[in-house]
Amino acid sequence: MSQSMVKLVNRVIFWIIVGFIMLYLLFPFYWAVNSSLKSENQLMMTPTTFIPRDPVTKEFSPTLDNYRAVFQSDQFVRGLRNSAIVASATTLLSLAIGSFTAFALGKLRFRGKASALYIVLSMTMFPQVTILPGLYAVITGLGLTAIPGMILSYLIFTLPFTVWVLTSFFRELPMELMQAAQVDGATSLQTFRLILLPLTAPALVTAGLLAFIAAWNEYLFALTFTAIEPTSRTVPVAIALFPALVARQEPFGEIMAAAVVVTIPIVVLVLIFQRRIIAGLTAGAIKG
Amino acid sequence: MLKKNASSKLLQREQRLAYFLLLPTFVVLVVVALYPLGLVFVTSFTDRTFASPREPNYVGLNNYTQLLGMTIRELPPLIDEATGLQIVDPKTGEPLYERPLRILPREPRRYREVAQFSFFGKRYVLGATDPDFVKAVWDTLVFTVISVLLETILGLGIALVVNSSFKGRGLMRAAMLVPWAVITVVSARMWQWMLAPTRVGVINVIFQRLGLGDGNIAFLTQPEWQLPSIIMVDVWKTTPFMALLLLAGLQVIPGELYEAARVDGAGPVRQFISITMPLLMPTMAVALVFRTLDALRVFDVFQVMLAQSRYSMASYNYYQLIGNRAMGKASAIGVIIFIFIFIFAVLYIRMLGVETD
Repeated sequence: MSQSMVKLVNRVIFWIIVGFIMLYLLFPFYWAVNSSLKSENQLMMTPTTFIPRDPVTKEFSPTLDNYRAVFQSDQFVRGLRNSAIVASATTLLSLAIGSFTAFALGKLRFRGKASALYIVLSMTMFPQVTILPGLYAVITGLGLTAIPGMILSYLIFTLPFTVWVLTSFFRELPMELMQAAQVDGATSLQTFRLILLPLTAPALVTAGLLAFIAAWNEYLFALTFTAIEPTSRTVPVAIALFPALVARQEPFGEIMAAAVVVTIPIVVLVLIFQRRIIAGLTAGAIKG
Repeated sequence: MLKKNASSKLLQREQRLAYFLLLPTFVVLVVVALYPLGLVFVTSFTDRTFASPREPNYVGLNNYTQLLGMTIRELPPLIDEATGLQIVDPKTGEPLYERPLRILPREPRRYREVAQFSFFGKRYVLGATDPDFVKAVWDTLVFTVISVLLETILGLGIALVVNSSFKGRGLMRAAMLVPWAVITVVSARMWQWMLAPTRVGVINVIFQRLGLGDGNIAFLTQPEWQLPSIIMVDVWKTTPFMALLLLAGLQVIPGELYEAARVDGAGPVRQFISITMPLLMPTMAVALVFRTLDALRVFDVFQVMLAQSRYSMASYNYYQLIGNRAMGKASAIGVIIFIFIFIFAVLYIRMLGVETD
């Protein structure tokens, strides 16, 4: 084989691999979209069809019935609202509390800094299921209902992570900035508020997005805390326990429509901020 | 002298401010993590019932021995009294042994069968006082090892492809974020539908076209398909995360190294073994331990797709707490999981190393 032939073959193999990976990554989502556009009868066709087809004429015939049903479902719409409240509140709280702590850990000198960092880092790996019974007791002990209960308990995973990401950003800001401000007579807190905080806005966006997604995703606490309060269910719980209209038959068309509805906003958000998110996810994973 | 005094005062003020700023975070962590952890630890020594006013009794290590109680007994062969030989199943041709039920001890606790195995021509049975928990631990470990391994291999492959420059690279990196962004419960539901037990499920249709199975594989109810299916879902969902971490690791390897290797006549395979792998190792180690910790805590996929038919450690914990209302036992499971994770977490922190300055 000539040199150019080898090159061509390599090129083709490479593109086949690329195509395969893309298919692998996107196919399940495509399948959810495809199934969400099928009617009950179309879903039950064997073998299943790769686009919604009419059972008799085999022509392309999608339906939006599942989407209509999903938006008429109280449980789902309420779930969206509950999830939005819980995830936003958790995010704002962890950014507010976390940025102070991250400033201290990233820029101030004090005794016990290493242990503080170790504690925060180890908290990011805390197994949430372990404390489930204890946390339930704390929530009921404080007299909290499910939604504030979730907001408070989600801090267990969003807060350490936020602190960790923000600390690494604060650390990279040049020390001279702070010194210059202090020479000009600013207190540490003023330096933080007026100079460092505006500079870390991109980091706040990153940490906030990741916290939001983590809270939006959470299932275990939500499932437990809303067990006796079904009106407070969040999206993951609503989708996991989607009510079946016909006994014993799960309404997969509607479930897939709900899946598409909750996935698209997050995917759009993630694609807009993809560089930030990748930077945040990999913060701390690479030494040096 | 004066200057030193002033700077130490400044340092003191800075230190006070730092503690003040750390306070809210640590208060929150005590309320939502450490205090509940303490409660769970104490509860694990009692027989407390979930959501019940009954006063709990102190039961010592009872919950732990109940969960971890295991024994191995030899199963004697069944002997045909007429011939003095071991009875053989007429259908399968397998030699028969005594039923585990008759061999496993019943006092002071009843042991039930977890698994049977042969060793040096003898047949043994592994019995446990809580076979579901032992199986849950085993399944979680198998799940963790296989899914993390697959994710690493696939993730590395994807990272290497994306790291080479080609048209559409940005698009591919964007596509990588899609599985990561899908809610875990939603991805479990999506796959549950794809894995439907008849040819309404796309996986069954694809398998049949490839000549695998008859188009009616019950992926989520046949025991031998359950774990592979769950692993498949998890691998789809988390490979992108692994790939992103490894990609970040690849991008910090200086290009001059490859340049130099090429000049020295090293081919792509040699470059991969001598440059890429060793330099990627630190990132890979971190990614591995990070994923391992996550996989050991797996809950959502097991709970949604297998419900009460098969457990992970976390979903068994949830079942004992909510389904069985056995709060004391659930707490003991929690403590056991905590110890598992703790061992791995220490390893992780050692690898990561905390820089304080």
